[in-house]
Amino acid sequence: MSEKPQVKSSPSFFNNPRNRSLIYQFLLLAGLVYFFYGIITNTLANMEARGIKSGYDFLFTTAGFDILMSLIPYDATYSYGRTFIVGLLNTILVSTIGIVLATIVGFLMGVAHFSKNWLIRKLAVAYIETFRNIPLLLQIFFWYFAVLATLPSARQSLSIGEAIFLNVRGLYLPGLIAESGAGFVYTAIGLAFTAIFFLARWARKRQNDTGQQFPVFLTSLGILFGLPLIALLLSGIPFVWDFPALKGFNFRGGITVIPELMALALALTVYTGAFIAEAVRAGVQAVPHGQTEAARSLGLKESRIMKLIIVPQAMRVIVPLLNSEYQSLVKNSTLATAIGYPDLFTVFVGTTLNQTGQAIEIVFMTMAVYFVINMTISFVMNRFNASVELAERN
Amino acid sequence: MKEFTPLPDKPAPNDVVGIIPWLKDNLFPTPLNSLVTLAIIAFFVTVIPPLFDWLFFSANWSGTTQAACTNKDGACWVFVIAWSKQFFYGSYPVEELWRINTCLLALVAIIVASFKLHKDLRNKIAIPLFLLLPFLSIILLDGSLIGLEYVATDYWGGFTLNVMLAAASIIVAFPLSFLWALGRRSDMPFIRSVSVILIEFFRGVPVLALFFMGSVMLPLFFPEGTNVDKLLRVWIVLTLFMSGYMAEVFRGGFQAVPNGQYEAADSLGLGFWQKTLLIILPQVIKISMPNILATFVMLFKNTTFLLIIGIFEMLSTTQTALTNSNWLGGHSTEGYLFVAVVFWICCFSMSMISSSIERKLDTSHKN
Amino acid sequence: MKQLTSVIATGLALSLSLSAQAGTLEDVQKRGNVSCGVSTGLAGFSQKDENGVWSGLDVDVCRAVAAAVLGDASKVQYKPLTAKERFTALQSGEIDILSRNTTWTHTRDTSLGLNFAGVNYYDGQGFMVSKALGVKSALELDGAAVCIQAGTTTELNLADYFRANGLTYNAITFDTSDQTRAGFESGRCDVLTSDQSQLYALRIGLSDPSSAIVLPEVISKEPLGPVVSQGDDAWFNIVRWSLMAMVEAEFLGIDSASADKAKAEGNPSQKRLMGSEGDSGAKMGIPAEWGYNIVKQVGNYAESFERNVGAGSPLKIARGLNAQWNEGGLMYSSPVR
Repeated sequence: MSEKPQVKSSPSFFNNPRNRSLIYQFLLLAGLVYFFYGIITNTLANMEARGIKSGYDFLFTTAGFDILMSLIPYDATYSYGRTFIVGLLNTILVSTIGIVLATIVGFLMGVAHFSKNWLIRKLAVAYIETFRNIPLLLQIFFWYFAVLATLPSARQSLSIGEAIFLNVRGLYLPGLIAESGAGFVYTAIGLAFTAIFFLARWARKRQNDTGQQFPVFLTSLGILFGLPLIALLLSGIPFVWDFPALKGFNFRGGITVIPELMALALALTVYTGAFIAEAVRAGVQAVPHGQTEAARSLGLKESRIMKLIIVPQAMRVIVPLLNSEYQSLVKNSTLATAIGYPDLFTVFVGTTLNQTGQAIEIVFMTMAVYFVINMTISFVMNRFNASVELAERN
Repeated sequence: MKEFTPLPDKPAPNDVVGIIPWLKDNLFPTPLNSLVTLAIIAFFVTVIPPLFDWLFFSANWSGTTQAACTNKDGACWVFVIAWSKQFFYGSYPVEELWRINTCLLALVAIIVASFKLHKDLRNKIAIPLFLLLPFLSIILLDGSLIGLEYVATDYWGGFTLNVMLAAASIIVAFPLSFLWALGRRSDMPFIRSVSVILIEFFRGVPVLALFFMGSVMLPLFFPEGTNVDKLLRVWIVLTLFMSGYMAEVFRGGFQAVPNGQYEAADSLGLGFWQKTLLIILPQVIKISMPNILATFVMLFKNTTFLLIIGIFEMLSTTQTALTNSNWLGGHSTEGYLFVAVVFWICCFSMSMISSSIERKLDTSHKN
Repeated sequence: MKQLTSVIATGLALSLSLSAQAGTLEDVQKRGNVSCGVSTGLAGFSQKDENGVWSGLDVDVCRAVAAAVLGDASKVQYKPLTAKERFTALQSGEIDILSRNTTWTHTRDTSLGLNFAGVNYYDGQGFMVSKALGVKSALELDGAAVCIQAGTTTELNLADYFRANGLTYNAITFDTSDQTRAGFESGRCDVLTSDQSQLYALRIGLSDPSSAIVLPEVISKEPLGPVVSQGDDAWFNIVRWSLMAMVEAEFLGIDSASADKAKAEGNPSQKRLMGSEGDSGAKMGIPAEWGYNIVKQVGNYAESFERNVGAGSPLKIARGLNAQWNEGGLMYSSPVR
């Protein structure tokens, strides 16, 4: 570096960091405006030249195709807007199932990594390394075409007490049909959850203040089942069972869990579970060994050491990783399109795009939905993360 | 002085050495554990023999057409063997395959070089070459610019396409994501928000949606009459997707560099770029290496999704093979199994490398 | 901005080609090959073999055009496309012909800036059921689970048909034909619906093809044909007449083996098609022997049909609607004169 003979009291205009940063930002803004202006004019010109319609009017025209599974009433006479919602709900359903199950599997397998049993330990490693390293698309094919397809046909269903049936067409469960007075029972369920929430708070406060423990889990269980049961009896059981039965080609009645849903949920669970297991393993290993030793010297049982000492500390490492795993699970659920599970991607970017040809609007809407879902997950997990961090300092 | 001779070591007690105590300790420590062990063993005993029979003993190995698969109780590996050139190289002309092999060798050579070469050489040669490699490879594979036979991208395919697309994307994503990560740490509010939006957008959106964007939407963004090759569009999209992830990896790396490093660089009078490129970046890359590899493995596996938009990477070549009217015998299990094994070998070895780097870097004493 | 973007695009794209305003024919002649959009894999229509060689009924249209324009049927550059991309590829000039089992419909013909150059296969949506079900007609399918190979109109036709007949069903939509077949074979559905030509291909893929039958009902009309961009009539004529030449050759009794003989000593109609009489090529701006090149290198329609989907292929589809008009089919070519 050359020597500087004199030090200026104020730098020149361009060397002033404030001015500089303003200039840089202005340049970026100008570049972006130019870029987007170009893209938009090009797109409009192209769309006009190719006779592509634009706008969101298509959302209100009749779709004309059927969807295999819908959580809300739907048939071919509904609009494309409705197909969007049907797909969205299906996406949320499979993502929720996947997240819950993957967390369970992941934690089990992650902890199994530290099992005393050699076989279990090796099995956990084999599980993680196998399923983490095979493309998810292949795993979906595997579950759907190799595993679920070997179930028996509808006429030779596996059944439990003529109420639950399992065959290649899906899992058939008895459903409940609500009659008048069911609202009373729903209120009781809501009430039970509220009661448990306050009970847990009270119990924690009491333990903090007095050190006495309260059997929260058992009491909650009692409330959760007891309250609705009482309401059920009082209102004269306003429900009837709807059993599935073989009529014609298929089972009708009850609740059907389609195999596409099962295969996709299974694949997402197993795949993401492997990543979560790896995160749990890393988290547990990150807890200093002294913690275990200290806990042992306090005379805690091994199972309680894991639950009370190790896992809460490991959570600090695990939760941020969980956040990104949950987000990729939601994004990966778009692979439903490979086996025909009617998620948002299949019905919207698949069939609807095929029929309307309005790529821009449809891809944009779909991207926005996944973006919002992922931001929501991120928000919730960050809140959760904050609570885990706090627990460490106390 | 009498020399001290230690007594010979006593053998360990009989109930802790040998196979039986080991079994007792590791397989049958508690009744519940023993049950689990037995169940697992029973499972393997029932599954493995028929599986091996199908895979190897009864399998059909020789022949060139479907008719050669005479034993229906075994796998038809003839299918995989007959299509293996397609699976690995796509429809790339046979006499030009050396070009693909050269590119792959160059990739391996540069990766090895960047680990083994002397530091000065590494910075001056390996890194620029590494960044140029995707472009050099494209020129070589395409061939029209350097007087070789022109091979259109429609003939590129197979497993090498998966590898090259993933490698080309991550290499170009390196500088881009580094800029985005810097932007995210910047003090300038507008630059910071643009970086955050870019990063979060490409991380928050499913890669399938991005592929669709590349295949159906991007053509509309270019001026009328221009048409940009589909593979190139996909490459652009993959690079941006990768940059989103890598930017977050780098951000983690930046946070892990101690503040003292920044302060020391400032006190030496280094400018912003000197500080960032010479002091911070090398440390960031070193710290982020395991995560970069993990991200690469993810990207590599995601290249199979290209099947959905009709690019002949390995998985979609398999599907094409399965719909060929001369191979309609239902060989999907063999085909998919083969693809799974190939991917597993690659991804597993990369994750092995990643964890060995992690161990090498991990100089802390936790336990 | 347009300039800047195209400069960037040029920098990035190696295979970038600005679709010149001159006309597709000149482009093709200058480039030395015909760029042809085909399916990524459809048994009998466009498929790649283990050596990367394309074949099929749709592919033969591309080869015929290449033979007519360039005198060499192998000078085709195949662009595999998915259903969603196909029209964009044509509109942006990436391909010269789209020959990808595309149904000729009113909307496509009138509002997408495309022209259908003819029909190379008359198809229709049909059903395949397992023999064990004992179903003889699609009207007995009330409450059935239906496997669909996702297409642009397949789902709509199915919904229309079942609604019109007051039947209920469950639709399971798959992405590719192989998945659809696997779904049907596993018993996931009772019925498989797809274009009839594909039903035959799917049936062969079953581990026991005789266990399934194709029902007689055809619930839609699917005339499939090559498509070109609107506004280039010269090119449109070439594609249309390349297709016609194959049909006409069959009608006139010329095949690839007898093309030389027909060219030298055939009757006047044969000689006109083979280019040894008249100036049919010059009128289109292509070599006089265009018809001869097509028949010699690709074959007539019957040869192409039998080789790819008919008796000479594993699919064994009967000519049916695709027979010559004088044999009860719909294949009818205008005369070359």
